Amino acid sequence: MSITKSSNVKTLEKSSSIFTKTIVQMNDVSASYDSKNYVLKNIRMSIDRGTNYAIVGQSGSGKSTLLRLINGMMNPSEGKIMVDYKIPNITDKKFKQFMHKIGYIPQNLGLIKNSTVLENILIGALPRVSGFNSFFKKFSDLEIDNAKKILKQVGLQGKDNRKIYMLSGGEKRRVAIARALVQKPEIILADEIVSELDHVTAREIMDVLAEAQVTMKLTAIMVHHDIQLALEYADRVAVIKEGEKILEIGVEGDRIVDFQSGNYTQREILEMFNDEPKE
Amino acid sequence: MNQKNNLIIGLIIAGVVVMSANVDADPRDFVEGLPNIGIMAQEITDVDPSLLETAFWSMLETIEMAFIGTVVGVAIALPLSLLAARNLNNKFVYVPIRALLAAIRTFPSILWAILFVIIVGLGPFAGVLAITMYTVGFIAKLQYEAIEAIDADPMDAVGAIGVSKLQLIRFVVLPESASHLLSQILYIFDYNIRQTSILGLVGAGGIGFYIINYIKFFEYGKAAIFMLVVLATVLIIDWVSVRIRDNYIVKSQRGMQVKV
Repeated sequence: MSITKSSNVKTLEKSSSIFTKTIVQMNDVSASYDSKNYVLKNIRMSIDRGTNYAIVGQSGSGKSTLLRLINGMMNPSEGKIMVDYKIPNITDKKFKQFMHKIGYIPQNLGLIKNSTVLENILIGALPRVSGFNSFFKKFSDLEIDNAKKILKQVGLQGKDNRKIYMLSGGEKRRVAIARALVQKPEIILADEIVSELDHVTAREIMDVLAEAQVTMKLTAIMVHHDIQLALEYADRVAVIKEGEKILEIGVEGDRIVDFQSGNYTQREILEMFNDEPKE
Repeated sequence: MNQKNNLIIGLIIAGVVVMSANVDADPRDFVEGLPNIGIMAQEITDVDPSLLETAFWSMLETIEMAFIGTVVGVAIALPLSLLAARNLNNKFVYVPIRALLAAIRTFPSILWAILFVIIVGLGPFAGVLAITMYTVGFIAKLQYEAIEAIDADPMDAVGAIGVSKLQLIRFVVLPESASHLLSQILYIFDYNIRQTSILGLVGAGGIGFYIINYIKFFEYGKAAIFMLVVLATVLIIDWVSVRIRDNYIVKSQRGMQVKV
């Protein structure tokens, strides 16, 4: 396996001061759905602002749970998480305000299939709309212009009034990305959104996200199935196996580097993935 | 088929036989009574076309009653269904609302009609109120079940943005359950027309008033005209609702265009 950075990935300038701060910090975090079997065990993770971060692992390894811990949809059973210096908790008013700034794209995208593309992406603007206006689906011209601009950015111009069920798999993913971008997010969480796509379409979608991540100065945290895809796009890749973080790697130049312990060489890292059954 | 299944089927059959004896349901009576159909059929053919106009206007009244009852009933049922859905409320809200809806559903529409005849007097208004109550109980239940069955993914994705509950209802719950609601409204309207046709039995207006009175005086020919008008109306409404269903519901549920 050889890894080369995707030509579409521009590296974000990280010397500027706001990007040096940590945005997600996890200290020995464990999570469990039934208080017996842990889905995640003792996760330590530190993600800097503006990073394109990937989480890789097999199905059932706890990757999706990790994202749900970051946006407060789930609480850890042990350990501490800080997201933008706040503890994620959906009932906490201060964190709820920050949730407006977290674009979350679940694996099945969560689009409203009977609504139009524009209606779907304007959902991202709802935190900025009053209860009264949102009841009548009334958005300001400014919001609609912004939404249309983002549609153009993700390559869906002119498809505002299509219903979701009329779109292809790749287009649906573009809508979900646009909805997250309309939130004017600081963090984007994406859960295996390209796993079901063919090789070419998957990279088209990843390019859209990578470009948005750089131009809009976002922190992207994306769960992947495919280590190669993750290394091509991400600055850092955390490898999760059976709920534990076993590696944190990245590409430097043309070499894969172990950032977690520094113990493993590129060859050893690659051998680990060769053991994994290909899917 | 195993022993246990045989035993269960045997018990069910035995139950039907014993209960038939209890309620005097004797198939021999049915066979002996068959010739009566001939007499009735003969009298039905003796139709009185002069009553067609009366039948038409009373059918129109029936449809109007069913329409008002359906619209008002759905308007009341929709907010109640949102309050009764377990995925939107805590149990201090949904338990009492569900109990209320269950209580409303215990009465068939004919009993509601009797109750409202006592309250507002004889006439179509009592029928409209009865149909409204029945619609509320029925639609609210089907709708809260539809709301609870909507896809968890959009709820999750939009909920994670931190929007208010009203926004979640407006942008996720209503659009995601709209096709179910339309389908249920079409069904209940169709059903309400048939129900309203018999409310005349207790003096709550509609075409049933004529049917029951002509039958009481053994004027089957006259009753037949009214029954034929009901039949024709129900067939037309059924045909129209199939068209609407194909156009708006099948398409959105299956994610495809349907050519009608």
